[in-house]
Amino acid sequence: MTEFLLELLKKEVKKRGYISEEAVKKISKKTNIPVSGIYGVATFYSFLPTKQQGKNVIHVCTSPTCAIHNSLDLIKFLEKELKIKLGQTAKNKLFSLYETSCIGCCDEAPAMLLNGKPYIKLTKEKIKKILRKCKS
Amino acid sequence: MQILRKTNLKALEKAKKLGAKKVIDILKKKNLTGRGGAAFPTGKKWEFTLNAKSDTKYVICNANEGEPGTFKDRFIIKNNPETLIEGILIAAYVIKAKQAFIYLRGEYDNLRNLLQKTINKVVKKSGVDIKIISGAGAYVCGEETAIIQSIEGQRGHPQYKPPYPAVDGLFGKPTIINNIETLTNVPQAILFNDWDPNLRLMSLSGNIANPGIYELPVGYKLTDLIKKAKPKNKVKAIYFGCFGGCMPYSKIELTPDSICGKNCIIGSYTIIVVDEKQSILDTALSIAHFYCHESCGKCTPCREGTIRVCHLLEKIKSGKATKQDLEILEDLAMNIHETSLCGLGQTSTNHLLTALEFFRKEFEEKLR
Repeated sequence: MTEFLLELLKKEVKKRGYISEEAVKKISKKTNIPVSGIYGVATFYSFLPTKQQGKNVIHVCTSPTCAIHNSLDLIKFLEKELKIKLGQTAKNKLFSLYETSCIGCCDEAPAMLLNGKPYIKLTKEKIKKILRKCKS
Repeated sequence: MQILRKTNLKALEKAKKLGAKKVIDILKKKNLTGRGGAAFPTGKKWEFTLNAKSDTKYVICNANEGEPGTFKDRFIIKNNPETLIEGILIAAYVIKAKQAFIYLRGEYDNLRNLLQKTINKVVKKSGVDIKIISGAGAYVCGEETAIIQSIEGQRGHPQYKPPYPAVDGLFGKPTIINNIETLTNVPQAILFNDWDPNLRLMSLSGNIANPGIYELPVGYKLTDLIKKAKPKNKVKAIYFGCFGGCMPYSKIELTPDSICGKNCIIGSYTIIVVDEKQSILDTALSIAHFYCHESCGKCTPCREGTIRVCHLLEKIKSGKATKQDLEILEDLAMNIHETSLCGLGQTSTNHLLTALEFFRKEFEEKLR
């Protein structure tokens, strides 16, 4: 069975945090899919960034259950703590902040993914602790 | 819980003794239906693929559970992955597939190791290869034709049906696509005489003290279920996920005949409880935002419409909207519902149409 493009792209994100132009060209050679085709696929998916990301990528859930549990306030709090806006990466490349659709942690809302790992029942205090750990 | 019962490969053994046709007969007789939301009879689905002529056939396990408020598949992967894998092996045996896929949503990447370990343990010499493909954060890839596109390395765009995946699926070959809860039920239905077809996993969340997975029969009174979940305040509305629409608490019923009122869709038994402290307009905005983000962009009504819905709701929230804006919003919602290509677009405004029916005041109060 041939290699699956989605798997190749995910591996690249796992390794380097994003899919660089160089990586796209490499994958293009390997798979015989044109560069434009690979960008077409990568840009369709939320978790396949084509720009350099922070060392720590945060995805806060904003779907209804988390929104009911004030995840929008938590985003504002994160923006203030990290000094970046939603969708941005900090200049020192330590953090990127995004919102995400439901991550299936509705029974433990509000929740977010930090580098793919779920963090649940979030409070501002809890977030402060998590950020401190990331910085150290 | 029934869903947690282990079958220890005994169902696969039994299936092999019975043969493909008898397995399908059992699934039909025991009335196993798809648990992903559409409730299509599983035996029938498998029969289409069995009868399709091809040397190569595939099984896809749809683990792209993404409906907001739903977390039952995560629960199964965590607590009974062996039985799920056995279900995939039975499906592969029935249609003589050598290759199966689990399309695991990107949000569940942290479950991938557990799933891979279970595959390594269970599959062994069965002659079937089960490969996990990680999704990358696209809700629409839970739609069966979009899942195929995604595995094939394309953008996850839903396709026109027919042809159905059962005869013309992955790489153009006949393909069985079932979700996790369905495939986990397969070995249990085959092995246990007391297997109950009416039990469903219900995901409860929202303003309640006891959120979680509840296994209850179809027809269980929704009001009793919500009492079990211990609402924190007076309940205002119930949302059946994002796509199912909402109902005022005072009007709900949950019976096989009248599952959730004629305007709502129960789907995969997702229940989000919203209490009186919440604003329906804010919830509408949250859901509209979700669809705006998840629309795949293939068809115009959904791609453009979901953005307009968001803008109009924001305008209403800001207090700048007029009565005419509200009329346009309702009209637009109906149009998106009627003209979108796939289920995502078609159901994307259910929440709004039902909210405007039952909670119109909350929108009108904000008008200029």
